[in-house]
Amino acid sequence: MAIEAPAGSGRILTGAEVRRDVEERPDVCVVGSGAGGAVAAARLAELGAQVVVLEEGPWHRPSDSTLREEDAYPRLYQERGQRATADLAIAILQGRAVGGSTTVNWTTSFRTPDRVLAHWARVHGVEGLTPEVLAPHFAAVEERLSIHEQPADEVNANNQALWDGAGALGWQRARTRRNVQGCANLGYCGMGCPIGARTSMDQSYLPDAVLRGARVYADARATRLEYKDRRGVAIHAEVLDPATGRPTGRKLVVRPRAVVLAGGAINTPALLLRSRLDISGRVGKRTFLHPVTAVTGLYRKAIEPWSGAPQSVTCHQFADRGPGKVGFFVETAPLHPMLAGMSLGGFGEAHEELASRLPNLSALIALTIDGFLPEERGGEVTVDGDGRVRVAYEVGDAVWEALREGSKAMARIHLAAGAEAAFSSHEETVEMRGEADVARLDRAPWERLRVELFSAHAMGGCAMGRDPDRSVVDSRLKMHGMDNIWVVDGSVFPTSLGVNPQLTIFGLARWAAGQIAPQIR
Amino acid sequence: MFRRRRRPVRVLLPGEKEGRRGFLKKGLLGAALLAAGGGSAWLATRKTRVRPGLRRLQVFDAAQLTVLLAVADRVIPDHPGFPRPADVDLPARVDAVAAMAHPATRVELRRLVTLFESGFGGLFDLSPRLFTDCDGAAQDRRLRGWMNSRIAVRRTGFKALKRLVAAAYYGSPATWKAVGYPGPPVGAELAAPRPPAPAVREEPPPPRPRRFRPAPVGIEPALPAAAGPGTGAASGD
Ligand SMILES: Cc1cc2nc3c(=O)[nH]c(=O)nc-3n(C[C@H](O)[C@H](O)[C@H](O)COP(=O)(O)OP(=O)(O)OC[C@H]3O[C@@H](n4cnc5c(N)ncnc54)[C@H](O)[C@@H]3O)c2cc1C
Ligand code: SF4
Repeated sequence: MAIEAPAGSGRILTGAEVRRDVEERPDVCVVGSGAGGAVAAARLAELGAQVVVLEEGPWHRPSDSTLREEDAYPRLYQERGQRATADLAIAILQGRAVGGSTTVNWTTSFRTPDRVLAHWARVHGVEGLTPEVLAPHFAAVEERLSIHEQPADEVNANNQALWDGAGALGWQRARTRRNVQGCANLGYCGMGCPIGARTSMDQSYLPDAVLRGARVYADARATRLEYKDRRGVAIHAEVLDPATGRPTGRKLVVRPRAVVLAGGAINTPALLLRSRLDISGRVGKRTFLHPVTAVTGLYRKAIEPWSGAPQSVTCHQFADRGPGKVGFFVETAPLHPMLAGMSLGGFGEAHEELASRLPNLSALIALTIDGFLPEERGGEVTVDGDGRVRVAYEVGDAVWEALREGSKAMARIHLAAGAEAAFSSHEETVEMRGEADVARLDRAPWERLRVELFSAHAMGGCAMGRDPDRSVVDSRLKMHGMDNIWVVDGSVFPTSLGVNPQLTIFGLARWAAGQIAPQIR
Repeated sequence: MFRRRRRPVRVLLPGEKEGRRGFLKKGLLGAALLAAGGGSAWLATRKTRVRPGLRRLQVFDAAQLTVLLAVADRVIPDHPGFPRPADVDLPARVDAVAAMAHPATRVELRRLVTLFESGFGGLFDLSPRLFTDCDGAAQDRRLRGWMNSRIAVRRTGFKALKRLVAAAYYGSPATWKAVGYPGPPVGAELAAPRPPAPAVREEPPPPRPRRFRPAPVGIEPALPAAAGPGTGAASGD
């Protein structure tokens, strides 16, 4: 029999602590504890609401980090690090832990570009979301998370290559702002910072929410949102064993007055689809990925791409390439053995040879800004009969063109920064030792599964907008047609973003919480 | 292109009703099977010679592990400083990686391995022999044939095999030396004095109203008096 959880002070509970079926009746149930969920939970608690947060991932403490890829990816990433589009053409990195992707992300922090907000207003009918409205929320988050520019003397060699190369070419470059406090530049952000120096949600807004009485259930996977007429009435969740990730058989039911879905892109649409709540047939559509390709540079000097803050330099020279073109921005990616082994092109001797040079490799990435051209529909999330989430994403011609031009730009940056050679991400890699070789990228095959692509920025799938026939939530992030269900995570973007998404999601969530609070009834 | 009448072995789970076309779009490695036609009949007639010492694990049987080890031996051929896949216990590691996948994906992975091994899979590159019976050069041809195939699902199959063995191999600390990776920071570096944790309020949280009473908020919420340092509230609205 279900017991009602005792009211009491807030805390984080793991699956091991939930030994019987539990029913909760808070003001708000937040599903997902990442960028959107944590900030919304903290702000709603601050505004006086009783909050319960459900998080399917584990509560990972900094001291739990073994800093080994083989442990970190299965433990802290969606689908145990194996998430990808259905054809495996694009590997998708997303976090799965208390704190969501912010527990593994690379700390780069950008406010939403004004032109993106303007595009959303003009093309997608998003109302009232202006730079002025968001600015105070960004400011508040930036202060709370100690977001500041990485000092010049703490840029690692991998990022220095981007800085030097872009500088030599006369291209725009900047040091990034990061959400860290006391960062020792160890370079293991992607495996869970071992010293808690990143102000990820588990180190910041979730403790804030807990101090205000919120209860956070780790190892609790929401399986269904039950609704009646225009109201969400219950969230059904299964409790997972923190050791194995398998259901323990215990059930958790939350019957809140307001529902905040914050499982992130892909998972929030999947939960809605599993719950058969898709009024306009738009749930899961317009999923964007900032599809990424890398160009690896081989340097004589030591780079040690695993060491130092993973991202500290960015180049937005090509973010806006004019009408009809997809823009891209260039950043870096840390390289550790497992990820390098999986993503370097081809196999056999040549692959080993390059892998053996890991200490001298630098990885640049071009992130293409998908979703802004009228013909771009993005990917689609669906749920299979066997329960698997399925992401179909067809890379369009304009994105391919941007990936190609991005690869050229990255090769040039490497060569300008003094690399001996630059290698494209093709399975049959294109090796470039000088400008003359860069043109060979024009003849390389730009086709799925011939060139390695990945994404750490899943976005969209519950697009916001005015028109209920074309979007899932309104401009206040409330679901069209429902009275008490909001979506507060990266899935509400109607396009991709053109910058790394976390700060946009933090700001949106803080703003949205102020919209939600007065409507809880 | 290749077209066959025979129905492939279905990997649909109970409750799934998709017909053949749905299947083509759905099961990614199932689709590889479809493209290959009724390869499974072939498979039954020929047997992989199991490498001594291998036995069935959670996902793969001994024959499938033999194939995966053979694939790993070509993806990571003999190279100075690189341990042999068998020496890092690749079969167990590969199986552990696959065991983390969804049950339906595990089924697809098993089928992929069996298909790749089969002579039938080799028909595309005109070497209708078991992968494990081929010499190294022929094995490389088959791998490259899938990697560069005009049929996208074959490239998907190659990608799955490569990711599986590369993740298993390079995840092993025994390979770190070969790639010049010193391993994660330990001891002194981590024992350094802990940096200041982000500010957390010391005072107890304000008492919670029994019934929710919305704070007076508009588009720009006014701050409830309770907002303290660390919420960042002071800096914004
Ligand atoms: C490796 C990596 C590096 C990145 N680097 C950067 C960077 O440097 N800068 C930047 O701005 N962005 C970065 N990002 C992206 C950024 O972290 C995400 O865009 C952002 O965190 C998304 O916020 P969200 O709230 O939408 O989802 P998330 O932060 O992903 O949180 C969603 C949470 O919901 C949980 N959840 C999902 N479904 C359920 C369910 N059914 N029941 C219960 N819980 C559920 C998930 O487990 C997850 O913990 C990176 C991401 C990754 C993976
Ligand atoms: S660079 Fe290292 S110390 Fe800094 S936040 Fe990342 S993991 Fe933590």
